[in-house]
Amino acid sequence: MKVKFWGVRGSIPVPGKSTNRYGGNTSCVEIRPRGGWPIVIDAGTGIRRLGKYLMDGKFGEGHGTAHILISHTHWDHIQGMPFFSPLYRRGNKMHVFARQQADTHLQAVFASQTEDPYFPVPLTALEADVQFHELVEGARFMIDKTAVQCTRLNHPWVAMAYRLDCDGASVVYCSDTAPFTDILLEHEFIAKPPLPGELIPASMADKLAAMRAGLVAMCQGVDLLIYDTQFTVDEYRQRPHWGHSTPDDALIIAREAGVKHLCLYHHAPMRTDEAQDAILMATRWTAKQAGDPFDVIAAYEGLELTLGDDA
Amino acid sequence: MKVQFWGVRGSIPAPGPETNRYGGNTSCVSVRSASGELIIIDMGTGLMHLGNALLGTEFGKGGGKATILLSHAHWDHIQGLGFFAPVFIPGNHFVLRGHGKSSSMLEGILEGQMNPNFSPLYTLKNLGASFDVRAVVPGEPFDAGALRVTARPNPHGSTTALAFRIEEQGRAFVYASDAGYPDAGPTAEVLGLYRGAHVMVHDSTYTPAHQATRRNRGFSSYEQAADAAIAAGVGRLVTFHYDQDYSDEDVDALRDACRAYLDAHGGAKIELVAAAEGMELEI
Repeated sequence: MKVKFWGVRGSIPVPGKSTNRYGGNTSCVEIRPRGGWPIVIDAGTGIRRLGKYLMDGKFGEGHGTAHILISHTHWDHIQGMPFFSPLYRRGNKMHVFARQQADTHLQAVFASQTEDPYFPVPLTALEADVQFHELVEGARFMIDKTAVQCTRLNHPWVAMAYRLDCDGASVVYCSDTAPFTDILLEHEFIAKPPLPGELIPASMADKLAAMRAGLVAMCQGVDLLIYDTQFTVDEYRQRPHWGHSTPDDALIIAREAGVKHLCLYHHAPMRTDEAQDAILMATRWTAKQAGDPFDVIAAYEGLELTLGDDA
Repeated sequence: MKVQFWGVRGSIPAPGPETNRYGGNTSCVSVRSASGELIIIDMGTGLMHLGNALLGTEFGKGGGKATILLSHAHWDHIQGLGFFAPVFIPGNHFVLRGHGKSSSMLEGILEGQMNPNFSPLYTLKNLGASFDVRAVVPGEPFDAGALRVTARPNPHGSTTALAFRIEEQGRAFVYASDAGYPDAGPTAEVLGLYRGAHVMVHDSTYTPAHQATRRNRGFSSYEQAADAAIAAGVGRLVTFHYDQDYSDEDVDALRDACRAYLDAHGGAKIELVAAAEGMELEI
């Protein structure tokens, strides 16, 4: 299994010199089973370059198949979709997966992304055959020889984490999520964050505990855990209701689940390359102090990892 | 007035070392009058960086006022709004003027952007700043402080995009992005809007070869920008809204080819500048 990062940024793309090394494109990761079609997780602006790369192969001839797993439909996770070239080539087959919403079909959400007056090319004008698949929390299914699982996360409007197993390797993509301690994020808009240490109702605490247990179980022993670590501790204290974690939160989950590698991901837009280097070094130091057996890396655009039988 | 560029790219932000010099942020330009009024044109990702720069001014304390001119609502022209720091500070006020059959329809378009499926902000009403959203009437001038603004629509693929003329004390600035003219070029009314501008920022998304194969997208080549500049007798032409796939070297070449085209077609006296993020022009 190969894992390649095409976009590692959260919230909004950030072009410029200060992001040259880690990259300024928003979330997109390609999982490539050996000899298989690509499985793409999230369609931030990084998917534009992935699309250009794919067009050099079977997708350029209209003979490609891709599965796209969407963590949630916030802009930074779907804004590259209309710029994914294989969608405009007849014959290509695309399967888009995301969590089922109570009152909206997934296809309608994607249709409204590109309707007039927001974008000139409507969903109905795509040349590829696009199928939408709605997932319930905890769903398990196969994409060819890859086993896929999902579990819900703590994020406004709810995001999904995915686990993929193939070629004797496993990876979990966990973005976006807040930690599971201070605030429950679902469909209600939260204007003011709770104060640090404020007690939350038992029903919320129970729900958060269940969500956390589901994630830890899904991450058990994986080769690679990709985790939303957008915030520093100070940033989290100011904005716990924005639905993002810190590297310390990721370390706790990685430790408990016994993962082999932890990958920091979904970097804050204003984080310079130097600041991200410092976060990585500090996180490695914390892990070392704690005696953690796993490696910590930070995702950057173009990073390619080989896992399992291929390694 | 002083013009500053915060985003010069078209369609989608284009991060990477190959766009470092011209910049990869989508469309956003600010215009500051001599007496200090602020106009912001388009809300691409460049708006985030303008917003951060404004936090050191009255906008950081909730006492800021600005007019936002919106050419049209394609994503690359609105996607910066939710990341514009001054909108989260109560007390700041924005008059937003754009295209729409009615003001409520224009407001609905901006609300749609904040839909909870797409944005954690849910609705414009969750922003701390106040907004006065109004559809403009083409050709009917309005004032933004000491600045006089006139807008007229250009064809832009299946829709239209507004071009703006901003005047102060006899000096004129024109912003014409996302202009997909028919073969005959801009209408007489639009040429009238451009006429004699001291500086005209004009859509130059493509080389002529790329434009020829992508005509339905509703963008100009640098030749069409130059033709409009020559026909309208502008003083300085600024190329703008570069294709997301163009590297800095591609934009250098586009600028040089535009210079040669101007010289060969009666526009030798027109100054030419390629817009780059951070660039400032005094008019």
